[in-house]
Amino acid sequence: MSLFTRTTRELTVRIDEFFDTIEIGILIFKEGVKAYAKGDKNAFQNHLAKIDDMEGKADKLQRSIENDMIVHSILPQQRSEMVKLLWQLDEIIDTAKKSLNEFYIEIPHVPSPLVDEFISLAEVSGNAAEELIPAARTFFREPHLVREKLIKVYFFERETDKAAFQLKKKVFHEMNELSLAEKAHIRYIIHHIENISDSAQAAADLLASMSIRQML
Amino acid sequence: MIFLFLTSGLFLGWTLGANDAANVFGSAVGSRMISFTRAAVIASVFVILGAVIQGSGASDTLGQLGSVNAVGGAFTVALAAGLTVFFMTKAGLPVSTTQAIVGAIIGWNFFTANAVDTGALLQIVATWITGPVLGAIFAYALYHLVKVTRRRIKVHLLKYESYLRVGLMIAGAFGAYSLGANNIANVMGVFVPSIPLQEANFGLFTLSGAQQLFFIGAIAIAAGILTYSKKVMETVGSSLLELSSEAAFVVVMSQALVLFIFSSTWLSAFMVRLGLPPIPLVPVSSTQVVVGAVVGIGLYKGVRNINVKVLGSIASGWITTPVAAGLSAFLLLFIVRNLFGIDVGHSTGTPGHVSEGIDFSLLVKYVIIGLLIITSIYLVYLITKENRRTERMNKKYYD
Repeated sequence: MSLFTRTTRELTVRIDEFFDTIEIGILIFKEGVKAYAKGDKNAFQNHLAKIDDMEGKADKLQRSIENDMIVHSILPQQRSEMVKLLWQLDEIIDTAKKSLNEFYIEIPHVPSPLVDEFISLAEVSGNAAEELIPAARTFFREPHLVREKLIKVYFFERETDKAAFQLKKKVFHEMNELSLAEKAHIRYIIHHIENISDSAQAAADLLASMSIRQML
Repeated sequence: MIFLFLTSGLFLGWTLGANDAANVFGSAVGSRMISFTRAAVIASVFVILGAVIQGSGASDTLGQLGSVNAVGGAFTVALAAGLTVFFMTKAGLPVSTTQAIVGAIIGWNFFTANAVDTGALLQIVATWITGPVLGAIFAYALYHLVKVTRRRIKVHLLKYESYLRVGLMIAGAFGAYSLGANNIANVMGVFVPSIPLQEANFGLFTLSGAQQLFFIGAIAIAAGILTYSKKVMETVGSSLLELSSEAAFVVVMSQALVLFIFSSTWLSAFMVRLGLPPIPLVPVSSTQVVVGAVVGIGLYKGVRNINVKVLGSIASGWITTPVAAGLSAFLLLFIVRNLFGIDVGHSTGTPGHVSEGIDFSLLVKYVIIGLLIITSIYLVYLITKENRRTERMNKKYYD
């Protein structure tokens, strides 16, 4: 019996640590985009290194949690959904890391009139993912409250779509000084930033169905 | 010779262990919340305890329905019930050992021209109906309690699950105890009047004649659990009754409560002391109580379209099983008496053959000691094996 409680306690701590890692990763992503858009290369490099560490830590935690759940037969009935949820959450930090790497490798040109909108897009997309974490934490203690927490995720996801649409429209309709290649490159980077909120929405959908099942 | 006659009862006990242990631990084992070894060891120990400590109540009621007063008759009655259960299960018809044994006893009553105690019969039949209904009521109330408690205590899902795991083990132990207490009457009840054994003193405890028979019957049930229930448990847990761990806990607890109520002499006496009518101590079908409990949870969840077909099949089983068992008992008694010339019993007005006395009691005493030792050694072996397996798995992943 002591093995049960010890494993459960350790696993609870690790799950919380996993959520912390994702949350910090999202904050780093937002700061990273801000630093890049404002041209602060040192800060950007710093954020890039940090998100790389965070992503690696999240991967390790995800694998160890899955492993312990199988070995100690924890949550046997919800295991496949739990594994999927962890994967979806890990996907968020993966996408964030990939996005910052795209900035680093492709060095996209962010025209000065677009800087604020770029930062705002990263902010709102990151917010969708950020709001998902409290909802995921709530699932473990008060599953009946998950749905109301998820409302914010869906709200920020819609806001991201709107902001991305406006930004793309501005790039292609109003900024004739940019070449088609530059426009396409900016659109590609916008798409990457948007992916974070899309991943958050996919995780939110899964979390919603899991919480409903818990309440039945 | 008497041990040969007991084989039909032991076979009935073995089938009961193989099938009905799944009602107690099926959901927990099928969903991998508890390992089969752990479940089988708990179920075996508590079935034996329940049968020996509390088995007499339901057995006495069966005795009122028909006191089978020759060991040949008891053998045939148990055989008829066992065969009915076997063939009806093969044919995919709803069947219960409890209802089969009652039908077989009535068959014996007709064959030996003994009057059927309609009062006892009505009491038994009424319990068949109230058993699943009570199961549904308990499950509804317990499920509500579990859900409300979970909301209030706001415990982490993983911690909650480990509590449920412990709860499932305790509920399973209680369920197994109640199963032994209530259903041992089906296995050994018919043999009690025809095999009068002397009280046996084992030093630490003494067992009455009936308790010695219950112990032997309980060992047969435990053998059924240990040898054949794994497959049934896994089937029940993963396909037939796919329940959440919470629901599984509630179902097992409800079933245990119902079986306990209908077998507790203490509770019945307590009701009388309160000025209320006594609780009829009657063997109840654990499977049907489980179905009732599942329906109770369904009602709580707001399931509108309850499968009437399932409920109908239970109700039809209340008639078809006793009738089939009664007819086969009558036919088998005829064959056994006329073909083999074995005494199968007589009308209670005429004196009959009483089985061997003191020497047989002594033999049974030694058999019980032997069985106790063998069972203990086997259970210790199973526990050690399970612990070694867990240690190996831990080493594999953490070393």
